[in-house]
Amino acid sequence: MLRNAKINFMKELFTILFTAISFITFSQTTISGRVTDAKGESIPSANIVILDTYDGASSDADGKFVFTSTETGDKILQVTAVGFESFQQAITLDGHSQTLTVKLPELINQLEAVTISAGSFTAGEEKRRTILKPLDIATTAGATADIAGALNTLPGTQKVGESGRLFVRGGDDSEARVFIDGLAVLNAYGTAAPNTPSRGRFLPWMFKGTSFSTGGYSAEYGQALSSALVLNSKDKVEMSQTDIGILSVGADVAHTQAWERGSMTGKVQYTNIRPYFGLINQRIDWKLAPASLEGSTAFRQEVGKKGMLKFFGNFNRSNFSLYNHDILDSSIKQLYELTNNYAYGNVAYSTILNDKWNIRGGLSYNLNQNNTKLDGSPLDESEKGIHGKVVAEHSLSDKVEIRFGTELIARDYEASKRDSSSSAILKQDFKESISASFIETEIYASNHFVTRAGGRFEYNSLTNKSIVDPRLSLAYKPGKHGQVAFAYGTFRQSPKNLYVRVNNNLLSEKAEHFILSYQVVNDQRTFRVETYYKKYDNLVKFLDADGYALNNKGYGYAKGAEVFWRDSKSLKNVDYWISYSYLDTKRNYLNFPYAATPYFASKHNFSFVYKHFLTKLKSQVGFTYSYSSGRPYNNPNENKFNANMTKAYQDLSANISYLPKNFLIIYISCTNLLGYNNVFGYQYSTSPDEQGVYHSRAVQQAAKRFLFMGVFITISKNKSVNQLPNL
Amino acid sequence: MKTTTLILAFALSFIVSLADDGKYMEVMQKNIMTVYTAKTIPDLQAVVNTFERVGAAEKTKWEPFYYASFGYIMMANQEADLTKKDSYLDQANAAIKKASAIVTNESEIVAIEGFIQMLRIGVDPATRGQEYSGLAMQSFGKAVGLNPENPRALGLLAQMQFGTAQFFGSSTAEACGTADKALEKFATYKPASPLSPQWGKEMTVELKGKCK
Repeated sequence: MLRNAKINFMKELFTILFTAISFITFSQTTISGRVTDAKGESIPSANIVILDTYDGASSDADGKFVFTSTETGDKILQVTAVGFESFQQAITLDGHSQTLTVKLPELINQLEAVTISAGSFTAGEEKRRTILKPLDIATTAGATADIAGALNTLPGTQKVGESGRLFVRGGDDSEARVFIDGLAVLNAYGTAAPNTPSRGRFLPWMFKGTSFSTGGYSAEYGQALSSALVLNSKDKVEMSQTDIGILSVGADVAHTQAWERGSMTGKVQYTNIRPYFGLINQRIDWKLAPASLEGSTAFRQEVGKKGMLKFFGNFNRSNFSLYNHDILDSSIKQLYELTNNYAYGNVAYSTILNDKWNIRGGLSYNLNQNNTKLDGSPLDESEKGIHGKVVAEHSLSDKVEIRFGTELIARDYEASKRDSSSSAILKQDFKESISASFIETEIYASNHFVTRAGGRFEYNSLTNKSIVDPRLSLAYKPGKHGQVAFAYGTFRQSPKNLYVRVNNNLLSEKAEHFILSYQVVNDQRTFRVETYYKKYDNLVKFLDADGYALNNKGYGYAKGAEVFWRDSKSLKNVDYWISYSYLDTKRNYLNFPYAATPYFASKHNFSFVYKHFLTKLKSQVGFTYSYSSGRPYNNPNENKFNANMTKAYQDLSANISYLPKNFLIIYISCTNLLGYNNVFGYQYSTSPDEQGVYHSRAVQQAAKRFLFMGVFITISKNKSVNQLPNL
Repeated sequence: MKTTTLILAFALSFIVSLADDGKYMEVMQKNIMTVYTAKTIPDLQAVVNTFERVGAAEKTKWEPFYYASFGYIMMANQEADLTKKDSYLDQANAAIKKASAIVTNESEIVAIEGFIQMLRIGVDPATRGQEYSGLAMQSFGKAVGLNPENPRALGLLAQMQFGTAQFFGSSTAEACGTADKALEKFATYKPASPLSPQWGKEMTVELKGKCK
């Protein structure tokens, strides 16, 4: 009996319980509504959820949603949608239907938002909305995987064929500065014989992002008058591999070891151009053609949860010797010997402290030594530099970001030579330290309008002077693809070592930039047009044409307009770009008797770069055609200064990369296929002949063409890897 | 009586927890069917949203995020606009990261990671081909290593090998061998739970069809 009673009791209990459960089940609340953006446009596929339950729905094409919930009591309703800030609201579920209208503020997102674009070309690996990628740099014909070589096909640059360096908007090569992970690089180009193009010391593969600015750059970058080339090195490498390169001018070997939270790469390269010059006749009278030994190492380690520590080091030793022939009497010759030692080291650390704060900082060290001998008489030059920097980035909200930092750039320069008569050692040197700080804020009024405003303060220990430079950038994107941008700023840079060593009190040279641009970036097509005005002040000037009496009274201007078009969509497997730059510049500086166009400036520059991937042949072929109108040169036989023009420069280069196997690349490139006889300028004899006439000699390419071949082999655990990702 | 109450309480809590898990199983099974059959991007987004809701509520279950990621992959597959395709892959990646934060070294999750990397190649083959093909191969290798019986890891590996071989015009024998092995594993595959992944066979059969 008792047992039965118990069973009955349990039955009853269960009935009650189940009734309770079913009662709960049937107490439903219907929630409906609509999700829109700030303007009231509907947002489809938004996710609406009662937090910590399964109950919710997706909004339909009209942004509408409806669902029922069996939950009761106080809950939180959350609405999320891609591209919008998420929304939360307290809600009481009591069986009564509820209707909600949810407005989601748009999220400032990199993919869609307006960007600071005036003056800058940003190239990243990951984001698709970029103009140039590391691979693009490497596969540009005529550039032979040189960063400057490839950037020279972009608007804003002037081809100066005998130099191989970047000349931006009427500025000379020293005005375009290179930064790696935010830290300055002194002597970014390798040594080259006079009037032969030099190559950048850093390979494009090392970098995940390249930002090439032809003006109006951020207050973070100082000591650059015309251009900042900002290279961001790659994060950790994911796979271990060994790479071997056999080149027509040398060989290299690299090994990368990857581990869970870091990686390390070491590379040794030997370049010797002697056998090549033995085969192909050169216009230069080499005693010993260039050879160099280079080593580099990159170390990456993730630190803590969000930190990344990077180290990069590079050393290079190169030498060559040649005979300079006198212009009047070519039988008189002078032996020129050069040995260059170069070392660069860079430690950078960055970490995300929390949602609001990022910190990054680093230290770089540069050493550059040139030991020159002129007919055995030594001329030594050395420059050591350190650059330390700490930057903090703080987001006040997702629309306002503040960036500020402080840095120290110290340089120690010394040049010495033996006086030919007294055999005493003559020395010129200086120690300069520039302490700087900057602050900048970026404000997104919406996804359509952004302002970046800031300033930079610098104190120079040599001149004992402080300066403040304002910087401002605006960009407005009315529609989905096109945007208008404006940039203004003042920029300063210490004069060249050559002049500072003579007069330690020389002020920084100054440039003021005004840039207006319009660009449309749509999927795989880019169009942009940009116009600018640049005003130079405080340029170094010779007093009465005396190279030892220097002041800052030089001045000048540059103005121009540029057009760029890139299309990698219209034609299958084809990618091409066209750029045109117009430049009008004059300056009165150095030994100029009056304002004139300097030797490196050409009025019209045009480049056409074409790349075609041939799937069947497993090859990529590329062509680059470049044109530069004539450049001025000075003929001392005439009264007018820099009034003569060389003929136009033209070049058609080609390259081919062939991938027969997935671990093998064969690469061939050749410059100046059509053999144009390019003349870069004329050198004149220092004194006239008996008839009072100065004799000239054309500055030309060392050889009409340069042919380069390389075979690159990659050994890794899985064979699908070759050297394209990291070299 | 005390014991009875205890037993009762225990039994009740068991029933309730069973009911809870039952609801999880039921909702998941229903939506897994939907994600396998959904044809359009909005339909896929709707089911992905459901997985995200379930995932957010459950906190200790990896399957909701796994299937959310799978749904985003299917969306990326359908999308022609490359920028959008990339953003779906970003979403897929974010979802699978949530799954791998819940269970480590799950072969199915690692295979999905590789799947995402493989699809990244298609967005920009010239720039990404080399790097992502290496990463995808590495992930598939790891997935097979974690569970040699996982037919999807083998099937995806076969896809990757086939694509690479085609690109370089080399023999597809290795890829076809892997596809055979994958099909064998598909035949013997016994899902550990009704929520275990079941997709990938058709894709592999299709690939096998291209083998001579």
